Amino acid sequence: MAHRRGGSLVAVLVAGLMAACSSSSGASSSSSVSGGASTAPIVIGISLSQTGDFSDPGKAAMRGYQLWAETVNGSGGILGRQVQLKIADDASDPGQAVTNYETFITKDHVDLVFGPFSTLLSVPSAQIANRYGYSFVEPAGGGPDMFAAKLPNVFFVQPAPVLACGDPFVNWILSLPADQRPKTAAYVSLDDPFASPIADAMQAKFEAAGIQTLARTIYPPETTNFTPIVSPVAAKSPDMWVGGTQSDDAYAQVKSMISLNFNPKFLYLSNGASSPVEFPSKVGASNVNGIFSCGDWFPNSNASGNQDFISAYTAKYGGDAFGIDSTSAEAYAVGQLIQAVAAKTGSIDNQTIINTLHSGTWPTVEGNLSWDQYGMPQGSDMLVEWIDQKLTPVYPADVALHTPVSPKPNWGG
Amino acid sequence: MRLFVQAVILGLLAGGVYALMASGLTLAFGIMRVINVAQGVMIILGAYVSYTLFTHFGVDPFLSVLFVVPVVFVLGVVIELVFIRPLRPSEREELSLLVTWAVALGIEGVLGLVYSTTYRSTIPSYANAAWRIGGFAVLQVQVYAFGLSVVILAVLGVVLAKTRFGRAVRGTVQNPASAALLGVDERKVAAIGFGLSVATAAAAGAVYGVVTPFNPGSHYDLISLLLTIIVLGGMGSLPGTVVAAVLMGVSQALLATYISPTSAKLTFFILLIGILVVRPQGLFGAVERGKL
Repeated sequence: MAHRRGGSLVAVLVAGLMAACSSSSGASSSSSVSGGASTAPIVIGISLSQTGDFSDPGKAAMRGYQLWAETVNGSGGILGRQVQLKIADDASDPGQAVTNYETFITKDHVDLVFGPFSTLLSVPSAQIANRYGYSFVEPAGGGPDMFAAKLPNVFFVQPAPVLACGDPFVNWILSLPADQRPKTAAYVSLDDPFASPIADAMQAKFEAAGIQTLARTIYPPETTNFTPIVSPVAAKSPDMWVGGTQSDDAYAQVKSMISLNFNPKFLYLSNGASSPVEFPSKVGASNVNGIFSCGDWFPNSNASGNQDFISAYTAKYGGDAFGIDSTSAEAYAVGQLIQAVAAKTGSIDNQTIINTLHSGTWPTVEGNLSWDQYGMPQGSDMLVEWIDQKLTPVYPADVALHTPVSPKPNWGG
Repeated sequence: MRLFVQAVILGLLAGGVYALMASGLTLAFGIMRVINVAQGVMIILGAYVSYTLFTHFGVDPFLSVLFVVPVVFVLGVVIELVFIRPLRPSEREELSLLVTWAVALGIEGVLGLVYSTTYRSTIPSYANAAWRIGGFAVLQVQVYAFGLSVVILAVLGVVLAKTRFGRAVRGTVQNPASAALLGVDERKVAAIGFGLSVATAAAAGAVYGVVTPFNPGSHYDLISLLLTIIVLGGMGSLPGTVVAAVLMGVSQALLATYISPTSAKLTFFILLIGILVVRPQGLFGAVERGKL
């Protein structure tokens, strides 16, 4: 009769196996988009996640890059040279991204490199580019680690660093007359380097302005059941609910609030709620109104080249402007910057790009951008709000298409 | 006190669904000594099939269980025949980890190709509805899911206790050699048992997609939860799994309410280690091969 072998052995085996399997590596594949007949195309190496955790934003970035390349090639290229993208899959793995950029620079001798998606991949990739004197203009990768690396070749092509995402909401709330401001607040955040620091920064500013904190809760990324987390916070009935969220946790927080019939007067979710297509499909379109989030790009914005970008995008990929992922716009803006530098200096030399972008303000579909010495953008994101089931910029006033609506209507209203 | 009662209600309902998810895992271990780490991905597979039926054909997620269960049962039998049967019995416990992990990664990859990594959610009309009973929120979908768990676990219990197949399963669990001598076809029991074990997971998946947004990678979070439950309940013990799942649900809710969601996990594992020090076989596990 066989004795049962200890559960501890099993647990150790499982833990070891999971640890071993949690890091994946991906094979590199490459594809290229060639625009035409020039004998000396400008070759640009880009590592993008076509598989793994970042494959959705990775593919969105690829659409933006490819659209820009086609557009610029259609108008004669840059400095008379066609643009050719050399894209390799990094399988969402930082090690593979580094390998890809090493290969682009040392073996393929590309003219330029553009950034991948996610700070996780961007930081080590930017360090490689810096080592070889390449500029690193990136559509994503604005987390604190990137600017802490103090790399002079980096330019984050969004209006504001990730951690400043909550600033427009804070500024708007504090601009309200005292009797209309929330008196109490709760902060419910994902334990993640991009999510909870946003809520922490907002909490510090709201507390300094006298808004009382009733609860601060941080939940682990593997949380699957949110109602027990939301329930005790909702029981304290805060006027304002700030969620430091990423994506699925934002949907789950909202679903739990609806189930518990808790409707705060102000509801801000840093990420997840800013997705024009995904968010209503996850929480129900009738439940989105009055929810605030932050955004860096918006279809209706009058930023430089935005309407041309939207026309070209919808012509190439179909759909409408509100279905465009902002990551595609961010990638497109990277190309716009290189075009602008070439137009200004007559060169696409990496050192020229680095020196040139460090001064002045540069118009893109992401707005007018400028950076500090380590590539941190100096602008501000937009506050967006779901109004009539459409994501609408509401603050600051110069980009707003509607005034903010508050207090939040009831669920389903 | 109100918070306590609310947390217990939410925890009980969640625990019922955990029980359904984990019951198949303990069944596979009890019958075959197979630690099926693909159980989590089977839940996610069930969630995707149910999601597809709902979004394309309007089939209610609870009704879709009638379709999901047989389909995934067949898939489970195929996996047993192709991947698990060839393993040497003496090494099955260890090797099954590697093999089922490979199956999990394979299914995750296919789901990623078909559905991409975007989070999905099945949203029937009652997805966010709740009854207010004495001022407490009782989430409708969790009550339905709890009810489904009770029904499926009860059917499973009756099958194991009353049918010829159930007797063969219990015989195999207690003493495979004697069962074989008495004419039980262990290979057939293993194939059907494994099919049943993953089918229960897929049934749970059909309702999981209504409660929680999911993507192909969501199974990593689930499998660690499920392994914890069956270790706590006693590996191979069905009643132990049910009790441990409910304990897990309630303790998660209470710890999240009174301590914090992040330390809830740590606190739970400290409790788990404490229990395993006193009872290494888990709450209901037999020291030797025994009852399911």
